[in-house]
Amino acid sequence: MATLVPPATTAPPAASKPTVIEPEKVDYLNLPCPIPYEEIHREALMSLKPELFEGMRFDFTKVLNPRFVLSHSLFMGPTEIPSQSSETIKIPTAHYEFGANFLDPRLMLFGRLLTDGRLNARVKVDLSENLTLKANAQLTNEPHMSQGMANFDYKGKDYRSQFQLGSGALFGANYIQSVTPNLSLGGEVFWAGQHRKSGIGYAARYNTDKMVATGQVASTGMVALSYVHKVSEKVSLASDFMYNYMSRDVTASVGYDYILRQCRLRGKIDSNGCTAAFLEERLNMGLNFILSAEIDHRKKDYKFGFGLTVGE
Amino acid sequence: MRIEKREMASKVLVKAKGKAGAKGSKGGSGGANESNRWTNTSKCVKDWSTWAIKKAKVVTHYGFIPLVIVIGMNSEPKPSIYQLLSPV
Repeated sequence: MATLVPPATTAPPAASKPTVIEPEKVDYLNLPCPIPYEEIHREALMSLKPELFEGMRFDFTKVLNPRFVLSHSLFMGPTEIPSQSSETIKIPTAHYEFGANFLDPRLMLFGRLLTDGRLNARVKVDLSENLTLKANAQLTNEPHMSQGMANFDYKGKDYRSQFQLGSGALFGANYIQSVTPNLSLGGEVFWAGQHRKSGIGYAARYNTDKMVATGQVASTGMVALSYVHKVSEKVSLASDFMYNYMSRDVTASVGYDYILRQCRLRGKIDSNGCTAAFLEERLNMGLNFILSAEIDHRKKDYKFGFGLTVGE
Repeated sequence: MRIEKREMASKVLVKAKGKAGAKGSKGGSGGANESNRWTNTSKCVKDWSTWAIKKAKVVTHYGFIPLVIVIGMNSEPKPSIYQLLSPV
């Protein structure tokens, strides 16, 4: 990228078109995370939405094979159940989760089974070089509570398109195209049969070595903008703005992400009066200590969690 | 329990509709036969696809993790059963 002169906004001359398109292709594949449409934001929000939890968590990962990994996970703590009133209702739960992962370059299988019978399964199959089938399902023993979704992804030279089929008659399609080496634009449509809703949305992502800026608008009334700035190898700062013009809901958050040698510390503060921090400390090779804290001053809800992760 | 009764009730209703449709087609004119056959086939297709999805859900629920384990145990280099079961 150092050799590439950023093209002007006017159309570049035909002679440099091949060089413009090739780095586009290369850049597309060299991005830190591939940017399928659904990851346009999530990749930038890794700093702002860590997996906060409350209670105790213990994960043990066992590598049997470079491709086959088993995991045992124990969790004890209160889980929140959604309630209509402003009070949060928490129920203490404890569960053990058994997981099996198989990772092959062409086939990935990911399964997690909880003690209450819930199965969380993900499958990713490379049907051909450019076509990928991804499916995920959350199956429960309760009837009518299971859901599943299948995605067909087609990866072109500088574009990606995806078709989604979901339970509850959910159909969706999205398309994202690299317009310049730094800018990619995309759009999506979806139709949810069960809720009789359909929507259309647009997204744009501009990224350079130092920053990523994304914006997304949807006809469901959601406008989401985010900006991540990589200050140095170890530090990156992120900010996010979400606005729903139907329900007049606004949330802005600012966060940081420190990736240091022995630890990774993420923190954020919200306009809802919520601050959160998440620390993963590497005590030893294969032993990680996790601390999670989320303090919601408006709802007076304080969540603290700690955990240990053994194995890679 | 209650949900099973509802399912049974819906199955009975569908069967009753099917019978009424058949009676109607017998009594009705020849032109209505075509549309009744289509509605009957679409109902059959819907019933069978619902049945197939229910069976697929049960199969996936019970069989996915064993499938992953079988595929993993047969991949190279082959791990042993002891490695699978021991907690170390």
